[in-house]
Amino acid sequence: MTKNKLLIYLFLIMTLLALRASAQTTDSLLNSLDSSKKYNKVESTFKATHIVLSHSTETQKKHDLDLRIRHHFGDIGGEFGSAHTLYGLDVATDLFIGLDYGVSDKLTIGIGRSKHDELFDLYIKQKLIQQKKDSGMPFNLTFLAQIGLVARAPFATTEFANYSDRITYLIQPILSRKFSSRISLQVMPSYLLRSVSADQNDPENIFSIGFAGRVKLTKRLSFVADYTMVSGLSRPNNLTVPLYNPLGVGLEIETGGHIFSLNFMNSEYITENNFIANTKKSWTEGGVRFGFTISRNFSLFKSKNKDPNTKSTIY
Amino acid sequence: MISINKNKFILLVLVCLTCIYNVNAQTFISRNVKINIFSSTPVEDIKAASNGGNAVLITSTQEIAVQLAIKSLSFDKKLMQEHFNENYMESDKYPLAKFKGNFEPKIDWSKDGEYTVAAKGILSVHGIDQPRTITGKIAIKNGMITLNSNFDVACAAHKIKIPSLVFTKIAEVIKINIQATLTSLK
Repeated sequence: MTKNKLLIYLFLIMTLLALRASAQTTDSLLNSLDSSKKYNKVESTFKATHIVLSHSTETQKKHDLDLRIRHHFGDIGGEFGSAHTLYGLDVATDLFIGLDYGVSDKLTIGIGRSKHDELFDLYIKQKLIQQKKDSGMPFNLTFLAQIGLVARAPFATTEFANYSDRITYLIQPILSRKFSSRISLQVMPSYLLRSVSADQNDPENIFSIGFAGRVKLTKRLSFVADYTMVSGLSRPNNLTVPLYNPLGVGLEIETGGHIFSLNFMNSEYITENNFIANTKKSWTEGGVRFGFTISRNFSLFKSKNKDPNTKSTIY
Repeated sequence: MISINKNKFILLVLVCLTCIYNVNAQTFISRNVKINIFSSTPVEDIKAASNGGNAVLITSTQEIAVQLAIKSLSFDKKLMQEHFNENYMESDKYPLAKFKGNFEPKIDWSKDGEYTVAAKGILSVHGIDQPRTITGKIAIKNGMITLNSNFDVACAAHKIKIPSLVFTKIAEVIKINIQATLTSLK
């Protein structure tokens, strides 16, 4: 009895095995061949290398050159704003032209020049950690080092007594995570090294922490914001000229190779070496201003691509 | 303890193994299907290519299935590739494009030869299934099966939206070429 049962049982198992083999149809075979898991990089945490004021964790693609033009207008309200300056549009507190170039997909170098202080800046930005799906790397880490040189003539004979007084250094590790296709958040502690400060209570070397985020409204339109906390950390509140923490909000519109950002911020200045330390305007006293960024990306060395299967042509 | 009738058992195993062997002998696969996509407008020609497609062919049922990890498609401009995955194909949401169908007419897979065939089935791109009949050529030689097919995919049919700003740069209908060499699954 038991022997028969066992045989039937065995027979069933074997039939099942055989059936399974024959049922190993296209679907299960394709599943076993599926290679899409290999492509587990979480890409485009942010659309651009910058958010509103601050850098993002994104770097340029290899051999891509980004021409970036930025503009900060004058105060919308308060003493310097209102209808007399067309709500700040008559004034340019800062202008910026910069070029960012991708040496590799992970290493970007950039140069730029700001109107304020005739500041020249040079930076290197290296992506160290790439966020990945499934395999347990939950965030991106990019390291930024930026040097700024004030090129303007001194306002007083005592200013820039040493040439090194013109130079500032920014060191900033940037951590970000794409939580979903819509939401990305970022934290960036930074250390700004200066030789001089305007106020004796204001330390030369400033530690700050920035927070930034993106909410994608549509595929090509995002709401972006960043805030840098300086006062309340290494900077005391008893300064003769009060300084404020920079906050910027904006809409970012991507159209293929271009990115347009329409921003509002209290910071007059564009480059970190300026705005982290010297934001004198406040959101609460009409010190907010309109600003925009135009970014145009150029792919260089396309002629190096000899593969006819991937060669694109613009007529 | 229960003793097992060894002869019967061996017989069964043999029967089943033959089954499995038979099935496998009728299955052909490829792990490096070449897939090229081509968009042409008067303003810009865009091409992308992948060598990473997969194909499965079951000769007994004439069933064919081809799939491609969208992110394996490589572009000249990497920013364009990122936009392709992020804005158009939504590759994180829909990582695969797939065709599954049956060849017509009936082919004698054991003989060398060349055939012009049509595969009737479902094409799934961007999460949208479309019934399609895709034509192509099959060449059988020395136990290897080569497939070659050109067909079109209309972006609108798969709900791939092209914004008016880049309308002149991206074709409404994308040309696809597939080349696969399948070998017997051992």
